[in-house]
Amino acid sequence: MDKLLALSDELAAAVERAGRAVVAVHGRPRVPSTGVHWHSGLIVTANHTVQAEDDVTVTRPDGVSTPATVVGRDSTLDVAVLRVDAAGIPVADAGDSDAVRVGHMVLAVGAGPRASWGVVSAIDAGPGRIPGTDFFTLDLTLYPGFSGGPLVDARGSVVGLNTSGASRYLQLAIPAKAVSRVVHDVVSHGRIPQGYLGVSTQPVRIPDALRERLGRARRAAVIVVDVEAGSPAAAGLLIGDVILSLEGEPVTDPFDLRALLRSRPIGQRVRASVVRAGQLVDVELTIGERPPRGR
Amino acid sequence: MDLSALAQALRRITVELRGAAGVVGSGVVWAPEWIVTNAHVVRHPRVALRLADGRQRDAVVAARDTTADLAALHVPDLDGAPPTMAGVEPLRVGSLIVALGHPFGVSGALTAGVVHAIGPITPNGRPWIQADLRLAPGNSGGPLADSRGHLLGLNTMIAGGLALAIPVSVVHWFMRGVAGHPA
Repeated sequence: MDKLLALSDELAAAVERAGRAVVAVHGRPRVPSTGVHWHSGLIVTANHTVQAEDDVTVTRPDGVSTPATVVGRDSTLDVAVLRVDAAGIPVADAGDSDAVRVGHMVLAVGAGPRASWGVVSAIDAGPGRIPGTDFFTLDLTLYPGFSGGPLVDARGSVVGLNTSGASRYLQLAIPAKAVSRVVHDVVSHGRIPQGYLGVSTQPVRIPDALRERLGRARRAAVIVVDVEAGSPAAAGLLIGDVILSLEGEPVTDPFDLRALLRSRPIGQRVRASVVRAGQLVDVELTIGERPPRGR
Repeated sequence: MDLSALAQALRRITVELRGAAGVVGSGVVWAPEWIVTNAHVVRHPRVALRLADGRQRDAVVAARDTTADLAALHVPDLDGAPPTMAGVEPLRVGSLIVALGHPFGVSGALTAGVVHAIGPITPNGRPWIQADLRLAPGNSGGPLADSRGHLLGLNTMIAGGLALAIPVSVVHWFMRGVAGHPA
């Protein structure tokens, strides 16, 4: 058979195969996003597309709408997990995302199904800089509504979850392995436990004079702009504190802080190195679990 | 067939439409003496064109339908085999497709992509072949073909990054109504 025709048929078959486990997710105004039936009764989608906490619905591949409950969010990875009555919808065939290489041909599938075609252009830590999780940077177009949909290899196996919300400039996919870890958390704990301090921070530059006095090499740190009442941070941090490091690991922007929290167990005590009123102080904090939204 | 053979086959049925400022669009040889293109590409009663072999011709705009965005051009001494039309089997989302045209005046450029979806882009709108394919000004009126080189439609516009093509069945229906055109 003609090679090009064979490739064309394989790509179309890959879309059809993946499309059977794909739903439309109505969790924001206007354009619905896409979701994947990842585990029996659990749909994963891009967290940034699920703005509502209640009244989320899902349109099944057969066109029938069904209510969905948000059971977990991982805002760092940009994954949300929804529980639905998924009877009759096959579970997506998750592929080996570790086998994906730069240059591999991939398809992004949106609810419909709709398709977009391209290659994996990079595999790296991405904007979230999450320890142990590399993102796929995609050379393809994620059309409106494609976030939360599957990234599919030429066989039709799902190797990632697409999102245009994790970076302002890049089209990314979260590897299937990382998505499965999140889904596993929901299956075994009923939720996605996320490390949490309860601070909002902004990047800040440390003046040279202060750096010299403190004997610090790094110019960048983060300044505390908000401390949530009753949070782990409230036990030790004040608005205006400049956090230089956490357990000796430098914190140069808010992403660093999130990444450091992610790599440590909930309940662990950590030491933050802080500049307060021009003086270097150590603050002991206990990593808590992020409370559910809206409470 | 490989992609370069596909490009060659499509170049034989694609013409370059020229205005005072250079290339204005593309057209498809539909039948001996007849070329079809988009109405928005030809805004005057006559248009100059360049065939795939480099010959220049003057065409008369024999019919123009701005709603359908289609125009039929008559070139009395034009020979050349018409394209093979895609069959009746439904187009599959994800299947490979190619466009040929003259984006930004680049002659005979091939673009490859996949079928994104088929149908209207607005409720109750006209049907389109929606392609995940990068088009540019100069592609308008050129062929969209499948991996066999069979004609699927006429590349017409770009909306939200998607290439929209008029399905060949609609083009067929338009050309049948053109006076003097062999139905």
